[in-house]
Amino acid sequence: MRKDGPQKVTGKAMYTVDLRLPGMLAGRILRSPHPHARILHIDASRAAHVLGVKSVITGSDTLGIKHAFVESARRYPPDQLGLAIDKVRFIGEEVAAVAAVDPYAAEEALGLIQVDYEPLPAVFDPIEAMHPDAPEIHPTHPKVREPFHNIGGKTESEWGDVERGFSQSDYIAENCFESQLRTHGYLESQATVASYELGGQLNVWTSSQGAFIKREKLARTLGLPLSAVRVQKAYVGGAFGGKIDLFSHEYCAALLSMKTSRPVKIMATREEIFTAYRHSQPLRIELRTGVKSDGTLMAQQLRVINNCGAYRGSGIVIVFLAWGFAMLPYRVQNLKYEGYAVYTNNPVRAPQRGHGAPKMRFAIESQLDMIAEELKLDPVEIRLKNARQPHEQLPNGDNVHNCGLSECIRKVADHTQFLTKYGHSRKVAASNGRFRRGIGMGVSAYFGGALIYPNSSSVIVKMNDDGTVTMLTGALDIGQGAETILSQIVAEELRLPVEEIQVMAGDTETTPVDIGQWISGGAYVSGNAAREAASRVREKLLEIAAEVMQARSEHLVVEDKSVYVKGSPSQRLSYQELVAASVRKNRGDPVIGQGHWRIMRDEPNPPSLATTKGRWSENYAFDAQVAEVEVDTETGLVRLLRAVTAHDCGFPINPLLVEGQIDGQVSMALGHAFMEEVLMKEGRTLNPSWLDYHMPCIHNLALSEHIDVITESYESGRPYRTKEVGEGYVSGILAAIGNAVYDAVGVRLYSTPFTPEKILKGLAKQRKRVDDAARD
Amino acid sequence: MLLPRFQLLQPKSIEQATELLGKHEAAARIMAGGTDVLPRMKYGLESPSYVIGLSNLPVFEPVDSDGFLLLDSLMSLTDVARSEIIRQNAFGLAEAAYAVGSYQIRNMGTLGGNLCLETRCMYYNQQHSYQFVEPCFKRNGDRCYFIPKGKQCWAVFVADTAPVLFSLDASVEVLSNGSPKRIPIDEFYTGNPLHPCTLSRQDLLVAVRIPINSGLRGTAFSKFTIRGGLEFAAINLAVVLDVQEDGSTCSNARITVGAVAATPIRLKKTESLLIGQKLSDDLFNDAGRTAADEIRPIPHHGFSASYLKACLRSLTRDALTSACSRIPRH
Amino acid sequence: MKTIIELRINDELFELLVEPQTTLLEVLRDHLALTGTKEACGTGECGACTVLINEKPKLACLLLAAQCVNMKITTIEGLADDEGLTPVQQAFLEKGAVQCGFCTPGMVLTVTALLNECPNPTEHEIKKALEGNFCRCTGYNKIVEAIHEAAARLSTASPSGR
Repeated sequence: MRKDGPQKVTGKAMYTVDLRLPGMLAGRILRSPHPHARILHIDASRAAHVLGVKSVITGSDTLGIKHAFVESARRYPPDQLGLAIDKVRFIGEEVAAVAAVDPYAAEEALGLIQVDYEPLPAVFDPIEAMHPDAPEIHPTHPKVREPFHNIGGKTESEWGDVERGFSQSDYIAENCFESQLRTHGYLESQATVASYELGGQLNVWTSSQGAFIKREKLARTLGLPLSAVRVQKAYVGGAFGGKIDLFSHEYCAALLSMKTSRPVKIMATREEIFTAYRHSQPLRIELRTGVKSDGTLMAQQLRVINNCGAYRGSGIVIVFLAWGFAMLPYRVQNLKYEGYAVYTNNPVRAPQRGHGAPKMRFAIESQLDMIAEELKLDPVEIRLKNARQPHEQLPNGDNVHNCGLSECIRKVADHTQFLTKYGHSRKVAASNGRFRRGIGMGVSAYFGGALIYPNSSSVIVKMNDDGTVTMLTGALDIGQGAETILSQIVAEELRLPVEEIQVMAGDTETTPVDIGQWISGGAYVSGNAAREAASRVREKLLEIAAEVMQARSEHLVVEDKSVYVKGSPSQRLSYQELVAASVRKNRGDPVIGQGHWRIMRDEPNPPSLATTKGRWSENYAFDAQVAEVEVDTETGLVRLLRAVTAHDCGFPINPLLVEGQIDGQVSMALGHAFMEEVLMKEGRTLNPSWLDYHMPCIHNLALSEHIDVITESYESGRPYRTKEVGEGYVSGILAAIGNAVYDAVGVRLYSTPFTPEKILKGLAKQRKRVDDAARD
Repeated sequence: MLLPRFQLLQPKSIEQATELLGKHEAAARIMAGGTDVLPRMKYGLESPSYVIGLSNLPVFEPVDSDGFLLLDSLMSLTDVARSEIIRQNAFGLAEAAYAVGSYQIRNMGTLGGNLCLETRCMYYNQQHSYQFVEPCFKRNGDRCYFIPKGKQCWAVFVADTAPVLFSLDASVEVLSNGSPKRIPIDEFYTGNPLHPCTLSRQDLLVAVRIPINSGLRGTAFSKFTIRGGLEFAAINLAVVLDVQEDGSTCSNARITVGAVAATPIRLKKTESLLIGQKLSDDLFNDAGRTAADEIRPIPHHGFSASYLKACLRSLTRDALTSACSRIPRH
Repeated sequence: MKTIIELRINDELFELLVEPQTTLLEVLRDHLALTGTKEACGTGECGACTVLINEKPKLACLLLAAQCVNMKITTIEGLADDEGLTPVQQAFLEKGAVQCGFCTPGMVLTVTALLNECPNPTEHEIKKALEGNFCRCTGYNKIVEAIHEAAARLSTASPSGR
């Protein structure tokens, strides 16, 4: 059971918004009503005079230091400011902020800030934005050779010879797939409490996915040394990728606190989150694939266009990852990839659970099924034909190690009786039945951990006098159970109950660095760091036990918070006794162990986002998923009846938590597939509420089953490779749903969401084709 | 999100309420459950100086009064859904109440509040601090964001209980400036999206009056949403079917569609298709087709008119089948 | 204009200075530091602010504090007592129905009310009772399992319901 469970079910868990400090001020942000405009002048004088207002800040009060999701001095210099200075580039962009003693005063002050804008032409569609005549949001990246406008970054990658591959193919499919703008929907709003103490220490609590990255960006943009900024943990009410990089409200809360010397809390309203915060990245995927008649993939050519929003954000990462999600689960002999991150006058984007995998796998898996049908192969055999095998080398030099993909495919097909059901609905006469069922498969792969700042996780395990343990970790629990998992690992190494491990987490001042909870590295990277730290402690305990018991450590057994000589369990020394002995005999050593882990230990640099050259991860997870759907052919509504996930997750540290992750991802996948879309028109969000943004509710619950394919194991004292379970399962289900809808009603959809209208239109076209054919 | 400041008045009786309404006129706003008024205030759509909260008023149990079912407008939607006497005599109303919002909203929201629901539009029902800043027609402005070249407002009336009352030939009891008035339900709605019901600021909706039918009758309510819960209807429908003593010839049919206009609409052409006919699946299929052709739904909340027509066809047929199955048989 | 009202929350009486527009949610979170009741949307469409008013689930973000006088208000903090966690809370923990935990207080209270009214709910009754409580983490699967578990425990429990 989760360590933080009791706190959460009793309402005692404190999230950032629950924090109150004496003298705390309420902060609010003023946002741009224009999608693209020059800021001519800001007059905040009347606002500053409102009773209760303690500070009003605009871009001119800032240091003008920029930040970004990914920053590199030469190729991708940061491009975002805490508050806009010369220009605004999306509706909702942050222009000013106030701090007041109560929210009403803050609201009043906001209304009195006078901003003179000069509106500029704006562009919202990425294809239009690329056109040489399009308004320029930012200059195209200098390394991009094509005469396109508004390119924030490009990824290109190539191996083999695609033209030769296509010429050797027996069949070539060419399609374009599009995905919609959707959003994370975390229940806990974005919120920050910042408190600047006299003496120059800035204390920050913020709802985030990694304390250390926030600290780095805050310190730099505020002009403070890292050591002056302390980011501390509060519980996090969900994030899913939307709380990673630096947000304006965090910057403003900190700056307002520095100006007023009082704590400042800023919480975004749900509407602000829907309209002005980071959503996911809509991709347009052009996919051309050549195969042999036996289904072997010969060549694949891809062009991916990302509607990146007004600043680079994570836009350049997703076009890199999209390549990764194309080359991963299947062996493709010749591949050519181009991905563009295109600026548009829309809010900045962020990764959302899967970070491109759902959209890429939807495209590739849909097309693969179409190819299979054309070649008269079944969806299972064509996947098995091309699935990566254990220890296969990937084109970028990574290795898939113990890849269990083929087993996943076979097991999920068996478990769901896939081949018996597949095609059944379409064999039955078309006029039969209002509700039609279908089954579909989707394969995906994901990575666990990757090289990005801060690049390292470290954990400290210290013994307490009474033999219990305290673990210090920079990791944050964002719902996935990080603290529980790490505690389980320590408990395994030190043979003591999880309940007797105290966890101190997520404090940049007192806990060691952690890579953060957004690269799927929790179990692998932070987990191995915890294991190492616990191993160090175990070694020390054995050493001191060996000395006291006058035995050799190989003859000692560690069990039940004590150590004894093999064969004489009644003569044991408890941890309590061992710690006391260590203090006595080792000049006060209270038994503390430190561990650390870096993914890709032998690789100095992360790969190039632009060229994909370089190794990315040593930890790849694979899965094969099946979806069973039911289509209402009268209304076009589709229900996901059942989702089965066969996953190679290495080995599950906490099966109950893993199941929870799978269930949640199935829910996100069905939302993505059927009902979620942030509707925008000319830079404005039309449905900024849960009423109109259709996040799944309990009515949409789908049966979710899973099959573990165990490809790794845990052995005490040795590094282990457990794979990620938090992000990779959205994609396979989404892809499977697309294929299942086709299986049910013979309508192939090329864009998500599969709205009822699209289904009905597809059915109408189909009827017309049948009627036309009958006439001819 | 902040509520604007106001003065809260909490009368203990209807008389006190009407007195306060008379005193403060347009500066006052009635609030029953608050599930429509308060979000509207948070979105800046209204900012009354006085809010007259009705939560202290006594609520009478549903009664049979001279062949009419009399319901207190302040009944919670949960109570409407569970009331035995309503389920016996106007099952469609219980169904409709059960379809509103969510468990919490049904506990708070009232029948009267649902009937007085303001019309809705995606562009309108949100804050306007940096989006849609220039007021639209419904906000007393001069434009429509939904149909930019349009000269009128396209907000729709989506309440679930209203179509049922149309189909049941119900009326409402209103205190207008203190004096009682009975208004047939089809006169209660104006068809004007800017001001959907005929109540003025000084009026108080006190009760709903439904004729009790002693013949062979089946009623049904249907609501189409994407998710199945916590969603206003894309389209909703209320059906009443009466049959002659033979148990299968239709003597009366009432079909009312909601959420696709500024008022619920009776589908009279479809109704006349049924009257005098023997009820059958084929008849219901025809009725579905006729219903879809009978009106032009106003597209709203992302649903197109053609899609809403397709839904109407399906919903009509299903609701008729359902109502038919509920006709008591000997 | 502020007035003093008395509210009965978790069987304790509190005297509070409120304005007419002060919501019950603000009173709980800001005046009384009972932060278990959450604000996730403020407009009644997520269920995170669910409290029990005279045993019925309602949304604190849409209740004026001044209209809650003379009512029995129960928040998440008022559920567990000396006897420990309630069967509903226990079931949520054991079945893995808690991930980020932000929806949990609202869910637990709604489920508690449901099982009080309806000790053996059908799938449909469960869905109708919980359709106003959003969860983004669990997909609702384990929440439904927890409800069945809690229902089973409550039906075999002593008459006091524990």
